[in-house]
Amino acid sequence: MSFNKLNTEGVMLFEQPFARVPYENYRKVFRTSQKNIEKELGAVQNVANDLAKKDYGSDADATVKAIDGMIARVEGLKRKLSDMQESAGTPTLNVMRERLQHLATVEDTESSTAPEFTRWADVRLDRWLVDWCLRNGKEKTARMIAAQNGIEKLVDIDLFSDIRRIEDALNRKSCTEALAWCSENKAALRKLKNTLEFDLRLQEYIELARARKTVEAIAYSKKHLLPWNDTHHHQIVQAAALLCYPPTTSCGPYKRLYDPGRWTTLIQSFRLAIYHLSTLPTEPLLHLAMYAGLASLKLPACYGHETRNVDCPTCNPDLGQLAKEVPFSHHVNSTIVCRLTGRIMDEDNMPMAFENGQVYSKEALEEMAARNDGFVTDPRDAEEHCSFSKLRKVFIS
Amino acid sequence: MDGPLKELSRLEKLASGAPAGKAKAPSIDQSLDALLESLRNAKERFQNGTGSQVTLLSLAKTVEDKKKEIDERQKEVYNALAKVGKALDKKFTNPLPSYEPLFQSPEAKLALERTIAMHFLRTGGFETAETFLGESNVTISPEHRVQFMDLHRIMTALRQGDIAPALEWAHCHREFLQKRNSSLEFHLHRFQYLRLVLSHPPDINAALAYSHAHLAPFFNRHRVEVQRLLTCVLYLPLSKLLTSPYADLADPSVHSDLQSMFATEYCADLGMSRQAPLRVIADIGGGGALARIEKGRKVMRERKSEWSQTDELPVSIEIPLPPENRYHSIFACPVSKEQSTEANPPMMLACGHVITKDSLTKLSKPGGRVKCPYCPAESTIQSALRVYF
Repeated sequence: MSFNKLNTEGVMLFEQPFARVPYENYRKVFRTSQKNIEKELGAVQNVANDLAKKDYGSDADATVKAIDGMIARVEGLKRKLSDMQESAGTPTLNVMRERLQHLATVEDTESSTAPEFTRWADVRLDRWLVDWCLRNGKEKTARMIAAQNGIEKLVDIDLFSDIRRIEDALNRKSCTEALAWCSENKAALRKLKNTLEFDLRLQEYIELARARKTVEAIAYSKKHLLPWNDTHHHQIVQAAALLCYPPTTSCGPYKRLYDPGRWTTLIQSFRLAIYHLSTLPTEPLLHLAMYAGLASLKLPACYGHETRNVDCPTCNPDLGQLAKEVPFSHHVNSTIVCRLTGRIMDEDNMPMAFENGQVYSKEALEEMAARNDGFVTDPRDAEEHCSFSKLRKVFIS
Repeated sequence: MDGPLKELSRLEKLASGAPAGKAKAPSIDQSLDALLESLRNAKERFQNGTGSQVTLLSLAKTVEDKKKEIDERQKEVYNALAKVGKALDKKFTNPLPSYEPLFQSPEAKLALERTIAMHFLRTGGFETAETFLGESNVTISPEHRVQFMDLHRIMTALRQGDIAPALEWAHCHREFLQKRNSSLEFHLHRFQYLRLVLSHPPDINAALAYSHAHLAPFFNRHRVEVQRLLTCVLYLPLSKLLTSPYADLADPSVHSDLQSMFATEYCADLGMSRQAPLRVIADIGGGGALARIEKGRKVMRERKSEWSQTDELPVSIEIPLPPENRYHSIFACPVSKEQSTEANPPMMLACGHVITKDSLTKLSKPGGRVKCPYCPAESTIQSALRVYF
């Protein structure tokens, strides 16, 4: 059977974000460089055109000064671009290369038992654990796993510490950092029709209302909420009315606006937005793998005291607890596993039954018989003791 | 990954500013340098009084040209980048599925944290485990930690070919090993003996002395193997041994099998699984199971039926598992195709064929007579035996 043939497609299903995160990062670097070029060269071009239009001869000093200004801009741009390439561009490309090459090694592997694949899968689980730790606020552990295994380029610690920084700010009830992120990613958010920015603005407004700073609140609304009027008219109107209600109000819609729980929702929305933009899945990769892995193994037998098997992962109490959230596996064909040897029984290693119906593999029973002058005893019932020849062959079709 | 890697190489060349093969525009650095030179020239002219309107007009022209060049180059980078994106799209056609948040209940969270902590300990990441425990709410008993460190110590030695710590453990647990009918101790000695035999140059005398002292006590239980071990010496040196019937004794798997054998026994003594459970789960899930579940889910969606997350996976999704990951017996009735349960247990007919109780009842004729569906034998319901796998 080709059980050990590596299912490359199944393996790759998980790897899209792994390959895409550095790609998206590089796009960001490129956009920033583009913005800088447009800004600086645009300004230089304006000055040059102005100079050309002006009547010559009037003021050589002023011309020299203007040219000096242009030189400074161009030199500044050159420095900025090369710094950016050095500190962000090249490292990002290196990460991309390293990751694509890492994935290429799997494509070249045929067997899931090949030592190369085993090593690769070791790294994969470490990557997933780093991802899980970063998403669950265990940054120290994440950094340690990455450093000890030398896989820093294969995990996204920087991205997640950025997420963490902004989330911490939201936890401190500050929208500033998140709003800065929104403006950095304005175009992408608009493309997704994501309204995180409005939600953040609304929250800042609510905080002004909570502090009863009515004048500031109205000014804020004019400046930051009104531009969203086309899509959020109702909410803006409601926000205006909020000023008439004190934070202690019991009036449903306004009470909900004052609810501090909105901050938690904001953190959630921010998280979804940044995951989406970075092409990260909303669930940790470890969870997805575990969902499928547990569902492949989970059987009613994992929960029966008599039928538990210490070697079975889903019989482990902790993993069994997690497996409660996944479906049972489904099997159309019989597989009879010997409870003594753990080996699967087949025509070469027939199942044999005691009088009481307990079935074990021929291999295990033969060995037992060899040690006991041809006699066998049911390990589950010492009373059940007979000659090997009395056992009945069991046929499973 | 050939496609994306090829496109990436192009992008790298363009971005590095090196004269890229097919790139038409010069690098941005070159363009900016040329621009700077023109600017400095113009400045000089005005400083020494030779600057004129023409100078300024030509300067404006140069600025425009260089800006165009740079835009051109940026466009090339942009296109190269887009091509990398397209190559990735082509490689990754299926997006990761999205699920409702999993493992969120307090019990599940704790269970997962404990699983991860145990995983670090199990795989020898003691420092990581400490850091993790500091960042989470779980506690692991000190005994557990000591046990894992002990396992790690012994395994590290064993990996380096030092059997002494493993042997010491085996001596302390002789009774347990005997009860399990384990031949770990013999295999440790066998490994040591083979190391002597296969050393360069072979140390035959030491090997024979060793076999006298340590293999002889196992002669009764492992007669054939001991004989093989002693005979293999006749086929030395190694090159000859490798083409002899004893070649398997020189295989590296002797060493790796011994390691996993020790880990199995050590873990069994502590009531733990022989493989690291999180690794097994993750490997199965990441090795095609999720893909298969998703495929099945898609089919279900097309048929407009759903299944609940905690039921059994639907019939269309059977995830093939390698033999080492089959931990429980599954009996699917060959007649009804249903999986046996406590209420519908497997029953063995007098001829030895097994079907479920429901099928047996359906097949029986008045008077309780049943003809086996798989052989000509006829028997009675009463003679059918409930079997336990």
